[in-house]
Amino acid sequence: MRVPSNAFPTSLVQQLNTLNNRQNRLQSQAATGQKLQWAADDPAAMQRALDLQQASRTNTQYGKNISFLQERTTATVSSVRSLNTLLDRANEIAILADDTKSPDQLRHYATEIDQLIRQAVQTGNSRHRDEYLFAGTRSDQPPFVLGEDADGNVQTVTYQGNSDVAELEVARNSTVSLQVPGTNTSGTGAPGLFGDSRSGSDVFAHLISLRQHLTAGDTKAIATVDRPALSNDEDQVLFRLAEVGASQARLESASTTNANLNTQFRESLSEVTDADLAQTLVELSATQTAYRAALQSGANLLGVSLMDYLR
Amino acid sequence: MSGLYGTLNLGTRALQTQSKGLSVAGQNLANVNNPAYSRQRLVVQTSFTLPSTLGPQGTGVSAIAIQRIHDSLLDRQIQSEVSSSGYWSAQQNALRQAQTGLGEALGSTTSGADGTTATAGISSLASLGNDLSGLFAEFQNLAATPGSITQRSALLARARNLTDQFHRTDERLSQVGASLDQSVRSDLTEANDLLASVAKLNEQIRRSETATGGTANDLRDRRQEKIEALARLTSVDSFEDTDGQFSLSVGGEVLVSGKQVVATLSAQDDGNGGLQIRTSTGNPVALSGGSIQGTLEVRGGALATLRGDLDRLAGTLATEVNALHRNGFNLSGGTGADFFTGTTAAGLQVNAQLLSNPSLIQASGTAGAAGDNQTALALARLGNQSLASLGGQTLSEAYSQTVTSLGQTLANADTQVEDQQLVGNLLLGKRNATSGVSIDEEMADLVKYQKAFQASAKIVSIVDQMLDEVIGLKR
Repeated sequence: MRVPSNAFPTSLVQQLNTLNNRQNRLQSQAATGQKLQWAADDPAAMQRALDLQQASRTNTQYGKNISFLQERTTATVSSVRSLNTLLDRANEIAILADDTKSPDQLRHYATEIDQLIRQAVQTGNSRHRDEYLFAGTRSDQPPFVLGEDADGNVQTVTYQGNSDVAELEVARNSTVSLQVPGTNTSGTGAPGLFGDSRSGSDVFAHLISLRQHLTAGDTKAIATVDRPALSNDEDQVLFRLAEVGASQARLESASTTNANLNTQFRESLSEVTDADLAQTLVELSATQTAYRAALQSGANLLGVSLMDYLR
Repeated sequence: MSGLYGTLNLGTRALQTQSKGLSVAGQNLANVNNPAYSRQRLVVQTSFTLPSTLGPQGTGVSAIAIQRIHDSLLDRQIQSEVSSSGYWSAQQNALRQAQTGLGEALGSTTSGADGTTATAGISSLASLGNDLSGLFAEFQNLAATPGSITQRSALLARARNLTDQFHRTDERLSQVGASLDQSVRSDLTEANDLLASVAKLNEQIRRSETATGGTANDLRDRRQEKIEALARLTSVDSFEDTDGQFSLSVGGEVLVSGKQVVATLSAQDDGNGGLQIRTSTGNPVALSGGSIQGTLEVRGGALATLRGDLDRLAGTLATEVNALHRNGFNLSGGTGADFFTGTTAAGLQVNAQLLSNPSLIQASGTAGAAGDNQTALALARLGNQSLASLGGQTLSEAYSQTVTSLGQTLANADTQVEDQQLVGNLLLGKRNATSGVSIDEEMADLVKYQKAFQASAKIVSIVDQMLDEVIGLKR
């Protein structure tokens, strides 16, 4: 075959161009550590990368939900604990208030119980991030409202929340409750912390009744009515505490799973998109060698023709 | 009768022939870097013979033609390869623009002010995919604190990011469409210019060949160059008639016949937002290759599909989000409002009433319960839900499929362009091997002709001396 004069420069330019392209691609892979940038680089890998990204973002959001719920559950636990302590003391008073106590002592107890009621209302109106914890889903207003008589004694405590509970996703199709209803008289749904028609618990009514009996010095009624009622209330609160504790444990394990998943997504994504640095650098230096060889041989060939030997 | 004068004439003719050879070699050398040039060769033969007592006697050499060395079969092959490489390059170029317009690229930088994607290591740069999952993340956050106005404002800001991104992406893609239109029109202008040039060259070739005989080598080279430039723009069939003139036809429509441009090409609106190529005589032309067709196919194919997909995504998002949102209740117990308005990528907006008053977002499933998040939760879950209107895909799956199917088309075009380049280089190399100028060859020819010239000159000078001798006889 004839090799015309412009065959060398033409093919040299083509070869240099190819090598330059390859160098450029490898160089940018080495610099960014990424072998995939645009969908056209590898459509199948891009699809996988996008799906993994989406899954990873969703999972990250679940992680945020979990931390939010953990925060809220911690707030709930501390409220339930303080309610439990409070009921402990009320029970103690119900036991102490027997025939051996003078009416004065009983009245002192009554004052203490009144304080305990107010404290319980305060606990019932605990908030987390501007939302009332024990109002069911009517969480924008205080669930418990005190009604006092002319002497400033607590007469009634009305519940103005509801018995509904909102839930938040901690993983796909897995939810954890955001609230504990303060009182549930509907007979269905999540049991109320302060009162529930199914277990017969009603912290405020029973505390008020204890106080009234103390004021009246009716130790018999205290022993027969208030003592068992309050003890039942305390049991119920302990059950709720156990439940909240259980959901704390659930959140803990969800959080671990979530973190593991995130690591897994990150690894898979890195597998799909990251360049193998060792391989890239080896290829790059091989390409550079080829490039230099092409330049060298090209420079040698281009300068030579028959003209050099004719005088 | 020959004698000394005859030999003197022979020498002169030889001198003329050798110097013609030298000038052809010079022409070749001068055009060594002209890619359209076919090397030429001087064809010589022994000149006429004269009767003599010894039989017919030669009178030396004479040049009969300057031949253009080329292979018309290769020209045809190259012409059709050029058409398909023009077609694929145009596709590649148009699809690249579309891919850039879509803007979905992976980068190592993290995006999103809240750093949601930071954990992923590699994330998409500002893109629809990112904003889409951002919206659903905010729905999740709203589900956590459904009563919070701060949270509601954050959601609205995120939703606006998303609608803005839809608008920007759609706008970029529509600009890509406009620039493709532009490139089709400028290609057509160029094609029409080339048709005119070919017609003009046809005429020049005919004229110079009938006037002087032989072939108009350089004009033919130039015409072939124009035809190949035309073939890059549109597939073209060429036929040579007996006068050496080329008729050109595109998609069965004759455009150039002899010295006449029968019809030019133009792009017309086809009534459906597409472009159709027509001749100036009004006939529609079906192109089968070339950059015009490549660009048109992306414009009406991949780009239209892409924009359609984005519209469908925006429409589905609006429909599905609204269907859930409409049944929710806002903080004051109101219901029935839409979250999004508009059904296309360009028209998608967040309901202006919600924007001015975030408490109107209907996050709750029951009236009068600020802490109820049923609607927010349902909206958050929508992100992972397979939707019948998207063929059983989730919104983000549908989006990533849109991205990758465009990527697939572009990757295919990339491969085709590479293949075409290989085939094209092979054919051009082959033609070059036949028609290309070799400096070495021409230098050798120069030496050859120079030596022959010197030898012929020697003949003349010897005859001259001999004539002197003859004249000296008288003295």
